[in-house]
Amino acid sequence: MEYGRRQVGVIVNGSLIGGLEMKLDPYCSVEDVRAGTFVVIEGEKSRFFCMVTDVRLDSTNPQVLANPPDETADLMRQVLHGTTTYGTVCLRPLLMTAKEDDIPEQHNEPHVVKTIPAHFAVVREAEEDDVSQVFGSEAYSKRYFHIGRPLDMETPVCINLERFTERSNGIFGKTGTGKTFLTRLVLAGLIQKKQAVNLIFDMHSEYGWEVQKEAEQQQQGFVKGLKQLFGVSVASFTLDPDSARRREVQSDFTVKIPYSQITVEDIASLAEELNLHATAVESAYLIVNRYKGNWLSTLLNQDPAALKEFAEEVGAHPESISALYRKLSRLKTFKFLAERVAVDAVEKIMECINKDIHIVLEFGQQSGFLSYMLVANILTRRIHDLYVDKTERYQATKRPEDKPKHLVITIEEAHKFLNPVAARQTIFGTIAREMRKYYVSLLIIDQRPSSIDDEVLSQVGTRITALLNDEKDINAVLTGVSNASWLRSVLASLDTKQQALVMGHAVPMPIVIRTRDYDETFYAAVGYTPEGPGLKQKAAANITDLFGDC
Amino acid sequence: MDEAAIGEVIGSSSTELTAESRQLHIAPPFGSFIKVEQRHETIYAVVFNASTQSLDPNRLATAYHLPEEELRAEHPQIFELLKTQFEAVTIGYEHAGVLRHHLPPQPPRLHSFVYACHLTEIRRLTAYMGFLRALMRVDRVPRDELIAATLRNAATVYGEDERRFLVQAGKELVKLVGDDYEMLTSILQRVQS
Repeated sequence: MEYGRRQVGVIVNGSLIGGLEMKLDPYCSVEDVRAGTFVVIEGEKSRFFCMVTDVRLDSTNPQVLANPPDETADLMRQVLHGTTTYGTVCLRPLLMTAKEDDIPEQHNEPHVVKTIPAHFAVVREAEEDDVSQVFGSEAYSKRYFHIGRPLDMETPVCINLERFTERSNGIFGKTGTGKTFLTRLVLAGLIQKKQAVNLIFDMHSEYGWEVQKEAEQQQQGFVKGLKQLFGVSVASFTLDPDSARRREVQSDFTVKIPYSQITVEDIASLAEELNLHATAVESAYLIVNRYKGNWLSTLLNQDPAALKEFAEEVGAHPESISALYRKLSRLKTFKFLAERVAVDAVEKIMECINKDIHIVLEFGQQSGFLSYMLVANILTRRIHDLYVDKTERYQATKRPEDKPKHLVITIEEAHKFLNPVAARQTIFGTIAREMRKYYVSLLIIDQRPSSIDDEVLSQVGTRITALLNDEKDINAVLTGVSNASWLRSVLASLDTKQQALVMGHAVPMPIVIRTRDYDETFYAAVGYTPEGPGLKQKAAANITDLFGDC
Repeated sequence: MDEAAIGEVIGSSSTELTAESRQLHIAPPFGSFIKVEQRHETIYAVVFNASTQSLDPNRLATAYHLPEEELRAEHPQIFELLKTQFEAVTIGYEHAGVLRHHLPPQPPRLHSFVYACHLTEIRRLTAYMGFLRALMRVDRVPRDELIAATLRNAATVYGEDERRFLVQAGKELVKLVGDDYEMLTSILQRVQS
């Protein structure tokens, strides 16, 4: 195991809490050492896996620094290098394995670091074997999914999808840092490895079908969507059938929501978007008292002139009712809302879920925040209620066929749903706090994690973070992570594209990765077969099978 | 004294030896490697001092104000009364084919012959940087001059590897001079020039 392992230095200082310091070998250049890369310390009885967190220049003699050798004093520079002047690298040990447990080709599970190596322990560059030992490999088990590579190696880094789906998770990063690609990767992994059923609220129609790549990337203009990669396993629902038709994509179902499904809680959580005053919301409750489920329909059908009488009828202040009426009239413009609806969208969704079919709900042109939040809230609230019932029934009968399918709901612009105020009102806050009690968890995508409620953030199990440079956002993403100070510098030093820091429940230690390329190789790896005319017909046939003629 | 010998030991101690040059005015160069061949062992040393003076300590040399050729022609006896001697610090010894880089158990015997070292011997002696420590012990001449001269002499036998040898020696020196950055600079400047 010792061949060809390049030594980079020896341990000279450090502590368990503060991290270790390594004196860089004179044969290694300081410039070759990068923050976020992976090294291994060979202790006497254990092996320590560490990440480089800081690089520093040191000298034994301040006189040398006060009178540095000039450019021509070559011999002096060479003599001083590594003796009087040398590099010190700060390492953070994250995992250790006992050397005596080594079995080649098998997974030696690492555990938390409880001690440190002795003085002068040799430090070497990490190699492919080390990475697979720590992060698992797709070869060991189905639960590992290859998500990228470390900064300076070609070995795949895997996340443990079983542990990923045990909690809610988040994908964060500034705008333009590739969150969408990361999300597609993760979703593709969940779908391929059949770890959970996904319901994706696709605000900008980015996940279902083909999307144009940004100009800088490779020659081909379009990346494949989940529906194209996984065919019948993914159902494409839409709120805006016209938009779908214009883009020439096939959607499996058009979602329409009847007014009767909208509750006052749904409106309340949109109070900010709708610019509704609290009293106006209170008046809505008065309408509900009188008209029960039909409250919204009744309100919107009122003649504006007759509002005063209506207000008296329900016992509310006329101004409040007016305001309510005015603001809620916006809802009349939404084509996906209707008085009566032939097929219940939620039923269709549950049908798909029970058949292990994943759902991408596209919003087409209805991609404003208001419609996004409204629809996501309404559908999720009902699905959650159904799930609670199912779970309770399962707990009673304990039959395997009653076990609810694990559902992961993906929402974008999560700070709109999960800011401290909204988190208390929306169903998403509830789901985040419940963890997996009712078999539902979230995948939140966001560029402003500082706007998300702290309590919710601390429940996020795994965080995949692309570049963030706002201090507040960085602090937010590191909430609930122990000893996070060293991760701060790593986060701020990520490349703008194709690099992310993965940390949390699904990985044994935080790691910086270069994200896996989302290209033909990936498509082939998840089992995509290229399109042919036969495929379209097959798809059409399947749709008819599932849904009847829509 | 055989033809190759350059001197004869006239004084010795555990750490140093003094020898008289075979020829007047011709002592081995400052900082060069010499050896004393004895029956069972060879002792190696580095020359740190050379001097020429009168044989009779009561009679000091005085000036004649004449060029050397004329002086030899008119007063040849003067040169009979002078001797050149050199001192060297012991850096190691070889016994039964094994070279050891520490002081020999016994000092060199008086009246043994002194020879200059071959290139291969110099290479073997300088393969281990311990000789620098021996040079540091000398306090009667400026250490930086001595070490620089020794390194210059040693470097010549390395040919293409000269730079690598010098850098290695320099790194060893850093440990020996400790905080004395001035000393280090002085030595390396003298080596490079």
